[in-house]
Amino acid sequence: MKKHETAGPTLLRQLTYRLAVFTLIFAILDVGLVVWTYTSQPEALGEQLLTLEASKLERSPFLSPDELTGPPGARSWSARAVYPARANPDHPNRSGSLMDWTRRERLEHSIRISGVRRIERGGSPEWVWMELEADSIRPYIPVILNELLTHVALPLVPLLALMLIFNVLAARRILQPLRQAEREIERLDAEKMTTRLTEPSAPREVNALVRAVNRALQRLDDTMVRLRSFTSNAAHELRTPLSIIQLSLERLPESDHRTELQLDVSQLNRLVGQMLDLTRADTMEFDTGTILDLADIGRDIVSDMTPMAYSANRELHFDDFGSAMVSGHAEAIYRIYRNLVDNAFLHAPGESPIEVSAGPGPQISVRDYGPGICEADLSNIFEPLWRKDRRRNDGAGLGLSIVKRLAEAHHGTVSVQNMNGSGALFTVHFQEGMPESGDLKQTLPS
Amino acid sequence: MRLLLIEDSKRLASLIRDGLQDQGFAVDWCETLNEVKLLRQLVQYDLLLLDLGLPDGDGLSLVRSMRRREDTTPILIITAHGELDDRVVGLDAGADDYLCKPFQLPELVSRCRALLRRPGASLSTVLSAGNVLFDSSTRALLVSGNLVDATAREINLLEHLLRRTGQVVPRPVLENSLYSMENAVTPNALEASVSRLRKRLKMAAANVQIRTVHGVGYVLFEPK
Repeated sequence: MKKHETAGPTLLRQLTYRLAVFTLIFAILDVGLVVWTYTSQPEALGEQLLTLEASKLERSPFLSPDELTGPPGARSWSARAVYPARANPDHPNRSGSLMDWTRRERLEHSIRISGVRRIERGGSPEWVWMELEADSIRPYIPVILNELLTHVALPLVPLLALMLIFNVLAARRILQPLRQAEREIERLDAEKMTTRLTEPSAPREVNALVRAVNRALQRLDDTMVRLRSFTSNAAHELRTPLSIIQLSLERLPESDHRTELQLDVSQLNRLVGQMLDLTRADTMEFDTGTILDLADIGRDIVSDMTPMAYSANRELHFDDFGSAMVSGHAEAIYRIYRNLVDNAFLHAPGESPIEVSAGPGPQISVRDYGPGICEADLSNIFEPLWRKDRRRNDGAGLGLSIVKRLAEAHHGTVSVQNMNGSGALFTVHFQEGMPESGDLKQTLPS
Repeated sequence: MRLLLIEDSKRLASLIRDGLQDQGFAVDWCETLNEVKLLRQLVQYDLLLLDLGLPDGDGLSLVRSMRRREDTTPILIITAHGELDDRVVGLDAGADDYLCKPFQLPELVSRCRALLRRPGASLSTVLSAGNVLFDSSTRALLVSGNLVDATAREINLLEHLLRRTGQVVPRPVLENSLYSMENAVTPNALEASVSRLRKRLKMAAANVQIRTVHGVGYVLFEPK
């Protein structure tokens, strides 16, 4: 399927954007709350500060407490290890321990915070005494950041990620019917208007949309059917009066005038027939599942058109190059041949021969000895109603477009090439490979 | 030769009838399937020319019911329906030929003749084209009234071509007719026989032409 240009931001982007804005607002509020809480409780902040410093020792087993640099921006900082047992060697319980404590003192221009923390390194407890003086908020910044990390970022980020994933999945799931509808609409074929979109059971909004599209398709289909049946009926209704005109003309005394009128009528006949063929080829209401030998049909067309060729003093040749078995519709392939031969009769001059062939393989061709087709016209010749010279009134330009439509209905292709010397060679290639059985029905081209 | 034309357009029917009568056929005409039933009880027709869309039903039902009753009267369908499957449906129903409107009278006449010439059809055993006359019961070949001597093989060939004057006779059909006469036939026996037949007809100043249709077969044309 062709990938179409899409417009607008994707669902993922929209959701991410909204969630990010939402989280940002929430985070700002949260940060404000955390900062306010701690600044209103300076004791707790000092306590946290010492704990944070002590935890640095815990993380690095070979660092001695003296090597601690302390928080940035502290006016003074000192730290050392404390050994409770050594501090009191006479104590009967040598494994005695110290309690963690923190003291906060207000000095003249600063705050002094001191305390002891128990840390665990290499399985044994150690005690560290720390003291710092601070005259600004700066030493507290790592603590506040740490608090923000544990209380704001850690809970919010996973939550945000989970919400994003959940939202995207949920929205995708909800929009799934829309994607389905998009794929089906993409596959809709103007030639086969009976296809409808599958109506999803939920959500109701998508269901309503799909049903509205189906109703629109139905209206289009009705119009197409009316149009086609009108074309078809009009063509049928034209045939009886045309027969009357044709037979009446034959009864008139012979004259140039009569001959001209007869020619006009025969062109009108051909046009009517081609309009019917085109209508039928457009609706593709035929079964291409019969196993056929293209050579049989080629011999039929040459047999049937030989009298016409004889009266125009031309020769029709047939060559069977073998193994031209295809799965198709015999009459449709006959019409392909017929229109190609008609085209050759019209465009190759005088008494030049026309060569019809089948094979080798699943292809047929018709070659004439006319002027060929100039490069500029190659893209137009299969368009309905296209004619090289509009002043000529020997055809409506439907023949080759019928060939193309009928070939396409067989999943085949038409090609044309100019032959060395002179003439054009039209070739219709049918699908390679014989189907296993004869029940290959037409499938919707995807 | 008595033909029954079943066609509901009066104007078209009268043109067809006049045209065929000019060619020596006796033509009765009716407009409905009911009339067909009545007429066929009174007259034995040699050929039915049947339009499919009739006021009181589909012409195909008549074809089917006749074939069910093993009535082999040749039927030529004349219809405005010339679409992809129509011809097949018509012939499958048991019609012998299918002619799509509009048509030219000579084409209708030649198709009628072809149907009447078929083995089993009741046309006389004399086949003719141009100045060639052939009596299929006595196997006598006359050109401009003069008896022409030809081998049985050539006569056989000519009979096949004459039975389908203006229509291409496929090679296999002609070859079979040769095989049926002799056991051993060389690959180009058919070409050789055709060539001898052509020479013989030319010597006798016949105005018919035997054309080779390359890759398909042979066809005998009357003078234009």
